[in-house]
Amino acid sequence: MNRQLKNKLFTYATWIAVILSTTILFFLFGVILWNGLPAIDFNFLSQASSNFGASGGIIYQIAGSVLMVLFSALICLPVAIGTAIFKSEYVISKKLHAIINTLIYSLNGIPSVIFGIFGLILFVNILGMGISWIVGSIILAMMILPTVTLSTYHSINSIPTVYRESSLSLGLTKWQVIRKVLLPQGFSGAVTGLLIGVARAIGETAPIMFIATAFSGVAFPNSFSEPVSTLPTHILALAQQATNPDALQNAWGSSLVLVTLVVLFSISALCFRLKHQTISKR
Amino acid sequence: MLGSTNKIGKYYVYSSTLISAFVVFLIFIILLLNSWEAISTIGLDLISLSWNPAKGEFGIISMLYGTFVVTFIALVIAIPLGTFTAIFTSEILASKYRFVVKSVLELLAGIPSIIYGLIGIAFLSIWFQDLFDLQSGRTLFTAGILLSVMILPTIITLTDDAFHNIPEKYRETAKGLGLYNSEIIKEVLMPIARADVKSAILLAFGRALGETMAVMLVVGSIDKLPSPLLNWLSPGQTVTSKLGREIAETSFRSVHFSAMIFMGLVLFSIVLFLTVLAQNSSKKTERLYE
Repeated sequence: MNRQLKNKLFTYATWIAVILSTTILFFLFGVILWNGLPAIDFNFLSQASSNFGASGGIIYQIAGSVLMVLFSALICLPVAIGTAIFKSEYVISKKLHAIINTLIYSLNGIPSVIFGIFGLILFVNILGMGISWIVGSIILAMMILPTVTLSTYHSINSIPTVYRESSLSLGLTKWQVIRKVLLPQGFSGAVTGLLIGVARAIGETAPIMFIATAFSGVAFPNSFSEPVSTLPTHILALAQQATNPDALQNAWGSSLVLVTLVVLFSISALCFRLKHQTISKR
Repeated sequence: MLGSTNKIGKYYVYSSTLISAFVVFLIFIILLLNSWEAISTIGLDLISLSWNPAKGEFGIISMLYGTFVVTFIALVIAIPLGTFTAIFTSEILASKYRFVVKSVLELLAGIPSIIYGLIGIAFLSIWFQDLFDLQSGRTLFTAGILLSVMILPTIITLTDDAFHNIPEKYRETAKGLGLYNSEIIKEVLMPIARADVKSAILLAFGRALGETMAVMLVVGSIDKLPSPLLNWLSPGQTVTSKLGREIAETSFRSVHFSAMIFMGLVLFSIVLFLTVLAQNSSKKTERLYE
């Protein structure tokens, strides 16, 4: 086989792979849109679900999902910022840095269902908090912690050393430097990370399905210790009665709403990142 | 006064780092403590074939087998497909479209796994049922195919980065020597990008092992090894689908519960090992070429 032929074959192989990947991609988006759009109307978005999800809308599912990720962001933020400051400003030894990195990446790699059983054992059973949405928020906060920490770390770490040195020489204490000089910058990184994290958290099913949600008869919670219904778990419940065409229709509708929420969070993360480029670029 | 806020700030920073670091250990300890009962009462019988809680048999082999078969199918499809697509986006496609491709891939990676599961139930399993004339389309093979679609964006986007980070001068030099495009990619770029590609694959491997919702919906959920062993068009069970289906119905602190947690612990350890491996693999090349 000569070189030219090999080159041609290679190019063909690449093209086949691209066409296949693109087909899969269009199929996925197409299916979600094609099946989801007919299910969605104003009633679907504004009513409570009834008849085990086969009729009615998904207003409480949307509310439950948003509530849960909102609180997970609130829980995650202070810890993530603290860890990022430590990693960027306090650690000198390379070894400690590597250990912290390994821990953060390990946390990021843990399968979502493991978080679920961890929450079930620790919060629901040992601490006796019961199946409640706040447990779900805590677990989701743990899941997005690495994303937010790394994003914050990168934006703090990219601030040139000159800024730290000149503010220190003006007589500021280390904490004042962090608070007045570094944090305003780092905050944009934290928000970007949070938006990416929330986009991931809102679609997670496995970690919350046995610790935070109930399927039917759930309205907006009045306290921290009540279960809610969320979009992903709603889709799961509907998907398991896939022989019922009405339920399936509503499952597609909920999927489209969920994907739209994910896309919204991802796009705002992107816009935020582009708007707040760090000063090091200048 | 100034000194005290300085101290408070320091305490805050230290304690939040401790919390972050503590989480991984806490998860490990909780899993270990709760699987201890199964390890001590069942012992080596955990590594056997039959899972039957009523008879007190808790063998996790068939679940582990399912997990590895499903992951194997996914990787066998996604690695070549993903690598070739990444070579296209990085080396052949004009770089002004790169932003679009990257954004679309990011979107694709962001589709929640439950929606993949829904697509698997509504389309894939029905197609396979008709295509192979099966009793049910929910099989190990279906789960593997679905999983390959799910990890495809991860592999494409990380491999694309690996190729894109190689300085232009390598390509120009190789071109100047009269090499064809395919030769440049195979002989020049691939060796440089190899470590990063390897870490991308390891990450995808880890993700595939831990994927729950989509697999759980299409794998069939039967705790048996297929017979014959390589008949992957039969229903099976993975560790994650077993946990997802059964854990909520198992009473806390029973041997049954403990055996399930042991399964989780095994999965946790494997995925952790892969993550650390992936991280080390990409770290070595940090300053290889400049």
